[in-house]
Formats: sequence, C-alpha cells, structure tokens
Amino acid sequence: MQWRQLTQALMLLAGLALSDRAMADKPRLEFWTQSLAPKFDPYFKNLVDRYNAANPNVEVVWIDYPWNVIRPKFTAAIAAGRPPVLANMDVPWAYEYHLNGLIQPVDQLIDRNQYLAGAVQDVTFEGKTWAVPFYNGANVIAYNTALFKQAGLDPNKPPQTLDEQLRLAGIIKAKTGVAGFAPTLGPTKLEGLMSQEGLDVIRNGRAVFNSPAHVALVNKLATAYRSGALLKDGLFAQDNFQLSMAAYNSGRMAMLVTVPAALGRVRDDAPEIYKATAVAPVPLSPSKVAAGGWQFTYVVPKNVDPKLLPEIGKLARYLTNAENQLAFAKLAGTLPTNRQAAAHAYFHAAPPDAGAAEKGVIAAVQNLEYVRTIYLSGVKDAELLSTKLSSAVEQAVTGRKDTQQALDEAAAFWNKKLGAL
Amino acid sequence: MSKVQTMSLPTPQPLAQASGTRAVWRRLGRHLPHYALLSLLAVITVYPFWWTLVTALSTTGDIYRFPPPLWPQDPSLDNFIEVFNTIKLITFYKTSVLIAAATVVGTLVICSLAAYPLARMEFAGKRIVFGAIIATMILPAEINFLVNFITIAKFNLVDTIAGVVLPNLAGAVGIFLMKQAFEAVPGDLIDAARIDGANEWQIYWQIMLPLAKPALGALTILTMVSAWNQYIWPSVVMTNPDNFPLSVGVQYLSSAFSSKTRVVAAGAVLTILPMLIVFLFTQRFFLRGFDGAVK
Amino acid sequence: MAHARNRTLTAYLFLAPALALLLVFSFWPVGFGSYIAFTKYNLIDAPVWVGLENFRDLFSEELFTVSLKNSALYLLVVPVIQVLAILLAVLVNNQLPGIKLFRVAYYVPVVTAVSVVGIIWNFMYSADGGALTVALNHTLQFLHLIDQPIGILTDDRVALFAVMFVTIWRGLGWYMVLYLAGLQSIPADVYEAALLDGANAWQRFWRITVPLLSPTILLCSLMSMLAAVKAFEEVQIMTDGGPSQSTYTVLFYAYKFGIQELKFGRALAASLVMSVVCIALAWLNFRYLQPKNK
Repeated sequence: MQWRQLTQALMLLAGLALSDRAMADKPRLEFWTQSLAPKFDPYFKNLVDRYNAANPNVEVVWIDYPWNVIRPKFTAAIAAGRPPVLANMDVPWAYEYHLNGLIQPVDQLIDRNQYLAGAVQDVTFEGKTWAVPFYNGANVIAYNTALFKQAGLDPNKPPQTLDEQLRLAGIIKAKTGVAGFAPTLGPTKLEGLMSQEGLDVIRNGRAVFNSPAHVALVNKLATAYRSGALLKDGLFAQDNFQLSMAAYNSGRMAMLVTVPAALGRVRDDAPEIYKATAVAPVPLSPSKVAAGGWQFTYVVPKNVDPKLLPEIGKLARYLTNAENQLAFAKLAGTLPTNRQAAAHAYFHAAPPDAGAAEKGVIAAVQNLEYVRTIYLSGVKDAELLSTKLSSAVEQAVTGRKDTQQALDEAAAFWNKKLGAL
Repeated sequence: MSKVQTMSLPTPQPLAQASGTRAVWRRLGRHLPHYALLSLLAVITVYPFWWTLVTALSTTGDIYRFPPPLWPQDPSLDNFIEVFNTIKLITFYKTSVLIAAATVVGTLVICSLAAYPLARMEFAGKRIVFGAIIATMILPAEINFLVNFITIAKFNLVDTIAGVVLPNLAGAVGIFLMKQAFEAVPGDLIDAARIDGANEWQIYWQIMLPLAKPALGALTILTMVSAWNQYIWPSVVMTNPDNFPLSVGVQYLSSAFSSKTRVVAAGAVLTILPMLIVFLFTQRFFLRGFDGAVK
Repeated sequence: MAHARNRTLTAYLFLAPALALLLVFSFWPVGFGSYIAFTKYNLIDAPVWVGLENFRDLFSEELFTVSLKNSALYLLVVPVIQVLAILLAVLVNNQLPGIKLFRVAYYVPVVTAVSVVGIIWNFMYSADGGALTVALNHTLQFLHLIDQPIGILTDDRVALFAVMFVTIWRGLGWYMVLYLAGLQSIPADVYEAALLDGANAWQRFWRITVPLLSPTILLCSLMSMLAAVKAFEEVQIMTDGGPSQSTYTVLFYAYKFGIQELKFGRALAASLVMSVVCIALAWLNFRYLQPKNK
C-alpha cells in the first residue's frame, strides 16, 4: 500500500524532471546581476522591456542571484557549457576568472573612453580590458560627531590624512574609551592602504615593502594599536566590514571607513548614531590614488556563442551607458563608472535635506577619477603572498616581532615566490 | 563525582500511583538539580536563536548594542511582514517543503534498502561495496557540485526538484546508520522468520524496518535539516529564482543596498522555526524515553 | 552454490537503487575530483596531467604544514563532543515534563544559520568587552597566569581552541539525536536487571549504556573525526585564518587558495592529502571500536 504511494511520489518527481525548455526561435541573452533584487526589480524590468522593444531580434532576460551563490553558480554554468552572456562580478573575481581563462576580453565590444580612467584601469590586465565597468563604490570616512565632541574634538574637522586619523583616534580612545577606527590590515587590503600612502608593494618584480618608509607606516599603526586607538576585532581579517559596522553601530568605534551605500545599514540599524554621523572623503595619496574602490563589472564568459558577440556588446553598452548608469546611481547611492554620467550635476551638489548616506556620495565623488579597486595582480599565488604580508604586519603591530624583521622576512618569502632572488 | 550522578540516568520512577498535580510537583522537585543543569545547557544552546528572535521582534533601538537586550523593544511583527512583502515567502516555503519531503522519503527508502544486505546478508563483493560507500565520505568532495551539475544538465534536470534531490539520496551516513541499526536486531528473530519461510524482502519489511524505527527517526530529523538548510547546491540547480527554496530565497533579504539586519533576522527565524517545530512534534514517533520503558 | 549466487543477486537487488545513485552522483565526481588533484584544470579545457606537482607545491608551503597540524589538533574536538553528546542524550532520554522542549533547545545550534552563528560568537569573543573574553581574562588574571588582558580571537595561542569550541557547540545536538536513537535500542529489562542487582547510576552508565551504545559510538566518532579534519566553515566565519595564520585548517586552505581562486588542482590535492589522513583514522576507528561480537 505504502509502496504504491511511494512509487507514485517518485513518478511525480520524474514527471517534474521533464523540463520545459522549449527552443526559442530568437537568441536568448541572459544577463546576471548580484544581490540587486528585489530592490531594483522595477529598474531592471524597465531596462529590459525597453531593450526588447527596441531590439525585436533578441530576447534579453535579467536574473539576479544573491552574492554568495552567484559565484559557484557562474562557475558551474560555465563548466556545463550554459553560461549567461554577461555576469556581474567585482574586480578581484573578474581577475580570477580571467587568470583561469574563463572570460574573454571586451575591447572589441565597448569604447573604453566612455568610462572613467580609474575604472577601466581596474579591469585592464596584460594590456586588454576584461570587463565592462558598471557601478563603483568609493570609501568615505563616516564619523560619530557625538564621540568627537565627547573627546573634545571639532566635529567639523574630519581627518585629512592617515596620520591625522591615527592621531584623532588616539585622542578619542584616551578621552572616551572607545576605538577610533578600523583600518583594513588583512590580506589584499593592506596593499591598498600602502598604495594610498604612496608606497609601492612591488617594484620591478621585487617586494619592496621593507623600506624605511614602510617600516615607519607599520610602526605608526603599532603605536595606535598599543594605545587601543584601532578596533581590535577582525583587524587583520580580509573582510572586517561586518565587525566594524557592528562596532560603529553600537557606539564602540568613532570612525567608519566604508562606501556611502553601506551607510544605509547605519540608518536602519542604529538610527541614533546615524543622526550624529557626518561624512568626509578619505585621504588621497600624494600619487593621487584613492584606494577603497569597490567596482562592479560585467564579464563575458569565454564559451558564449561567438555569433552572439555583436549582440552581447550592444547589450553591455546599453546596460552601462550614461543614462542608465545615472539612473542606477541615483537609486542605489553608488557612483557611476561612465564619464558622462559622473559629470552630471547630481553628483556635485547635495540637496539641503541630505542625510549622511547622500552626503557620502558627494564626498566620495570628489575622488572619483582616482578611485581604484586595489589588489595584487600579475603575480602567481597573490592571495598567499598577501596573507604572508598581512601576517607579518600583524606580528609587528601587535608587538610580537620587530617591524623591520617581520617585513624583511615577509619580503624574503615574496621574493622567493616571485623568483626574484 | 556528584556531578556525574546528576548527569547519568535519572532513577526510573514507578509511575501510575498518585496522579494529579501534586504528584507532578513532587516529581519536579525531586528532579530539581537535573532541571537546573538542563536549563543551563539550554541557555547556552538557545542564546543565538534568542538574540535573532529578539532582533527580529524589536522595532527600535540599536541592534548591536552591547550588552545585547534580552527582551524585544517595542515588539511587533513588522519585520516579519516586511519579509513577506519583500520575497516570495510562500513559493520558497513550498519548494523547501517539497525538497525536504522528497529527500527524506528517498533517503529512508534507498538507504535502508542498501543497508539491509550490508548488515544481514553474506554475498560476493560485500566488503568492496561497503568500502566504496565509506570512501565517498572521505575522498575530496569539493567539486562534486560542479561535476554533478554537468550530470544534471545532461539528464535535463536543471531547474527541477528532482535535480536538487537525486544526488543527496544515497548518502554514506544514512546507509551506515541503518546498517548499524539492522545489526542491532537480535539474530534469533531473523532465524525464526527464516525457518517460517520468510524471504529476505519480508524480513526487511516486516522485521527490520519496524525494529529500526529509532534510527529511521533520527535519520529523518538529520536528513530533513540538511535538506532544508543546503543552499549552494539548490541555487546551482535552480535557474529561475522563483524555484528557489527558502534557504536561498532569504538571501535576497541581504541584498547589496537594502540590507536591514532586523528583517534579515526575521528571515532567519522563519527559516529555523519550522525545523524546530517539526523536531518537537516528531520526537514521539521515535523516542519513547526511558521512564516510559520501565513500567 | 546456486544458493549463494541467488543470495548475491538478492543482495544486489536491495543495493541497486543506492548503487546507481552513488555511481552517478558520488563515485564519479569523487573519482574525477581525485584525478583532478594530479592535473591543472580550468573547467573548460581538458585537464592537463602534472603528476605530483600540486602536492610538491603544497608541501613546500609552510602555511600548508601549519594547516595540517591544525587539522590534526582539531581532532581534539572528537572526544569532547562525543562524551558531551552521550551525556546530553542520557540526560534527555526520559519522560520528565518539558523534556521534549529541552531536546529541541539542544538541537537549535544545528539548525541555526551559519551567518547568525558568526555574528553571535564574534560578539561573545569580541576583544572589546565580549562576555567570554572578559570572563576568561578575569579568570586568568585571578590565577596570575597573565598580566595583560588577551583577546580570544586575536591571540594565536587561544584562537584555534575558540574556533573548536564553536564546532563543539554546533555539533552537540546532531550527535545527541543519533545517541538518543541508539539509546532506544537498549532493552529496558537490561536496566531493570541491573537495578535489582543494586547497581547505581554510574555503574549502570558504564556497564550497560556505554557497551550497548558502542555501534553508535563507532558511527558518531567516525563522522565526528571526518568532520573535524574537514572543518572550515567555523574558521571562515570566525577568524578568516588569523591571527598570524594560526587557525588555518587544511580545508580552509583548500577553499581559500583553491576553490576561491578557481585553482581546482591545488584544492583537490590538499583535500586528497586530508583523505589519506582520514582513511588512516577510519581504519583505526573500525579496528578499535567495531564491536567484536559479530
């Protein structure tokens, strides 16, 4: 009796299995975004409807997947030979897919001059452009003016340089007992901090981060660490976003370095602190590099149907043109990568009733031409090297090893790996 | 030593006499140390869920306040309603239930069938088969999802529940668990049945399965939870987001620019709660408890 | 002879559905994965055989050796988790009022989403005022073991143990359910006889519960060992391998420098090294825990 029911259930499952993939007569162009639904459903539906109406020869389909599933999904789709035509990836991911030969260059598909120089440079590897720039984030300093006042600091004078930020953090710790800020000293993030301070990590194929200037930088951090000016939680983790957000939102930290769009989290999770939050641009290095970019792009998988490439290019240009980028940036509080969109008045004057999140956009735009998503590229085992460097800095900053010695050891490790010895 | 005393078996109590509340209270009183220990452990295990629940029910205040609040502030169901309005909760639930049910039924049938000969029959190749099954627990499984997706695509099972469920049915853990349970059945019972002319199928169906109820129950609970919570594999198989189970669907609450921690917490509660309720009510089917056994 | 062949046929009929599924969805990918460990493979192009190169790369890496050591150390969770789970199962294997709710309570960590586990335990361990950090520092300072307060997840002497603790916390309920099922198969009259003999609770536990539970103990400790050497999710949510690379486990290493960077050859080589260790452990497990009265 039960067996019959069971057999029926299994038959039902088998029935479900008969998939209904009817072959469409016109080419189907599927593009994927990450973590933009359901908030941007209307935006993308409108975008797709307009495109399909104007291009009856193709059928464009938009699908959004959450950020922590899109990557395995994309990898599996490529492996099974059924990839989307465009997929929304951040820069380091695009770089990894490029390294493994899973995506193709887009130079023939777009006009590089349409996009901001920094954005294009982010996705230029070995002389070719490997992704279509979409939207960008750029770090700003959000700070708690109440804690500034409590520490006897002028809330209208945010730090202009890293030195000043460290100094203010020290004062805040001494006067209020809470940490000043959480620099990102973890693997792949530390390189960004060094570049921002105008210090090279690699020069002529050799690790050069054990110079006196680098040692001085790490020593400054060590001093701040000892005084408690830096948030200890996750200080050397690759991603301390959640922990520093939690610390800032609970009033355990005075300055939060993050992208403007993330300030919405402060608004929702810690309304009192949001009211007291002011925003300033991050310090710009002497070499005019603003690290802390967070660019998102569209990549084209290597195994798409080559016959579709002209159509794919057309779609990619459409998705990232000035008009559509501007509309997206307004909705999302992000920054555009399209030159013409970036010049729009919207990014250069805050409305009178703007909150910290909106002011953050204005602050971030000041550096827009120089914003870079920094990561170590062009070397083998970059992640491993990066982890070693971060670990050395950790030992120096926490006072378990002499700074010079720690950096020397890490540099030796790098040079061995880089084959520079 | 005294601690061990409390932690070991409670002395079986003769039941039946003096029913009524007074007896219950007396019984509770006698087990006070036992309850104290149980409660202490419960605090440790439940706390994170409690924090999530408090966060989801509260509507005001700073979420990451330290120390965290123990009770909801201005409690309301607003965050749960927002979950309902933001994602296709009912659709996702339906898929989750289908996946969990199909996985549990399939696992119970397939694993117990496979376990029977491994536990109770002598046949050529037995050790090799068992060794191979154990090997799947041990050998690298990191790219199983990639290889299996290619297989699923070849079978035309992409975007189907069957595609999600099939690879998970024949698990080494389930086969092993059922094998252990079948091995615990006294040999005399089987010999007697054989003498009565029962065939292997009848022994499996009429003797083994009923006696293995506790193991089947445990396997149900464990399989259900892993089928319910898995999210990478279903997200790879399902291409249309409307076909996602809840474990994947709630991820849309933490999207790039509109992540509200309270709403995400409400989503987590909505994911966890059904499993706890199911466990609460299915216990009696496979756990009789010690007191009940000693009459 | 014909009889034996007949029996073998029957046995394989029982096994057929499982073997068919295993063949397609386990043996094939696991076998393919093991092969990939000896190749360079990028998903699109055919794998290129490189022999032992991936393994040589791994063992020339100090971090991998550290990861191996940590994974071995991680085995410490096995006895702890098993002893606690047995005690927990015994503790809730009765019909006291409300006991069903307690069983559910101990099962909560198994069901709790990884992200929530991460948030809460980072809270508890936080270097600025986390409850457990404060408690630990008070204790250690009281015992004059330290002068300066330490951070739990920021000190490379304790971080790995803190991560292991989370593994124990998450796993207890899982094994409790299995042990509860195991306890069900112990006939009540065995306890009754022991009671008549005047055995106390402690003696009953050691003389009846433990021996009769040994098949379940075999199963659980095997699973627990495999889970321990394959642990990485906790590392990912708690420490990201830090501080000073002190909490890297082999699978975290494989995940971080393999899967995440799409270097499948390297990831699977690391994983295969782990498998060799697992096979040794499984063998020991069967050797010493398999009940002999078969």
